[in-house]
Amino acid sequence: MSTFLAQTEAMIATWHGVTAPNEPGRRMAAELADTVAAFEKLRGTLVFEDEPSSFEAALQATKETAA
Amino acid sequence: MSSLADLSMAEAADAVRSGAATSTALLEACWARMDALNPRLNATIWTDREGAMAAAQAADEAVRNKAKLGVLHGVPMMHKDMYYQAGKLSTCGSALRRDYRPTVTATVIERLAAAGAYTFGGLNMAEFAQNPTGHNKTFGDCHNPWNPPYITGGSSSGSGVSVAAWFNYMALGSDTGGSIRLPAAANGVTGLKPTQTRVSRFGVMPLSFSHDNVGPLTRTVRDCARVITVIAGHDPRDPTSAREPVPDYEAALTGDIRGARIGVPDNVFFDEADGPVTVAIDRALAVLVERGAIVTPLTLPLMDAVAAYGGIVSRVEAATIHAEWMRTDPQAYGAHISGRMYPGYAIPAPYYVEALSRRGPILKAFAAEVFSKVDVLVTPTIRTCLPTLAETDIDRGPPGTETKFMAVSANTRPFNYLGLPTISVPCGFDPNGCPIGLQIAGRPFAEARVMKIADAYQRDTDFHTQRPPLLQGA
Repeated sequence: MSTFLAQTEAMIATWHGVTAPNEPGRRMAAELADTVAAFEKLRGTLVFEDEPSSFEAALQATKETAA
Repeated sequence: MSSLADLSMAEAADAVRSGAATSTALLEACWARMDALNPRLNATIWTDREGAMAAAQAADEAVRNKAKLGVLHGVPMMHKDMYYQAGKLSTCGSALRRDYRPTVTATVIERLAAAGAYTFGGLNMAEFAQNPTGHNKTFGDCHNPWNPPYITGGSSSGSGVSVAAWFNYMALGSDTGGSIRLPAAANGVTGLKPTQTRVSRFGVMPLSFSHDNVGPLTRTVRDCARVITVIAGHDPRDPTSAREPVPDYEAALTGDIRGARIGVPDNVFFDEADGPVTVAIDRALAVLVERGAIVTPLTLPLMDAVAAYGGIVSRVEAATIHAEWMRTDPQAYGAHISGRMYPGYAIPAPYYVEALSRRGPILKAFAAEVFSKVDVLVTPTIRTCLPTLAETDIDRGPPGTETKFMAVSANTRPFNYLGLPTISVPCGFDPNGCPIGLQIAGRPFAEARVMKIADAYQRDTDFHTQRPPLLQGA
């Protein structure tokens, strides 16, 4: 078992009281390394000035006005 | 036409309203075909013949009494088994809710009933709406009527199958990452995921507070338009539902798409696409161009962010909703369900908050760049030929099966994070005889435009009227 997966399983057990239900669960937990990499790749690439933001307001701001 | 079950939903409703057919006859036609085909498809979890017959007879009595009739008067329907009806079974496709009977009725069910429709059963679905394939450990896998070993798409598997097998005029599905559009594509029917907040979710089993949507699966775009006109609009019991006015979507289906600007992404959506799929999409675009649309290739912005952020929101929210069962009874779930939820507990809160807080700004930036150039986007709904149930069976398959499983929803998930209205209509068949879906997405609340283009496509093609070989003689 990789260190990443062992740490992930321990953290989930400690914080949530949930244990790995099966091998697919362990495999998908190990793939969280890809999620970390995806977030790392985004760092510094996105600059938005509209904070605080609201998704509902964005829906209204970008909505269709005439079909 | 050999059976009243062959009518579209709108035709069936109009037939009852005009007196050309009775609701009782519609129900009997659907039931006879369901009896003939469903043993091979496993599209239903429960049925209620007695209750439905009483509703049909009441609908016919109302016609005889010249009562005021709704636009769906006397139409029998079945929905994904996660739309609550007080006192009735709602299994949510899971052993954990095998006997669950809610105390409330979903707003969408009430609105359909107010328009004259009634239900005659609950449809098979992915357990807790959590897979894109149609596997179900508790109630059995759902089978594709075009080629039964192949996936039906999910999570609204029974919704897609029952409409495709022509024993259900319309089924509600739910769409958190593609769960309406995927079974629509895989079964050769029409499915609409509305704009996030367009339709009330009160009384609907939650999976992801941020990404869940309610919408119809039907045989035609016109049917979708009629249903969404009935069910859309603000609901005081769902404070997240939009106060946006609801137009008559059916009236917008004029067939005139001259000058419509269609964008075709040259990034992401065709990556590793199978040849038969790209050929079908090219042919569909040619049909739209013939009607006067203008096709423009374009590169979609921010797709890395959409993928990264969209990929964690529903996982965290599903893990949160299911935490108690995951602690106390994890083996009650299918392995692929609990296995997919498990990593959700390890995603740090700052990641989740970042994903949600950037959703609005990303939508605004995406819309500004894309919808200044085009009116809609067109992509394949599923970019590969359909895999088989065996090839995507995580519970029994080898390591790596997850990759094929997740690839099914690669083209649908981005539109859930962006919250855009998106429809899937059938546009061809792969070499295995399984349908191919054409996905059309527009800006927020552009359901009318999206459906107008999809309807124009159906006016010039017949993929939506073709019947699976299984139906021959049924």
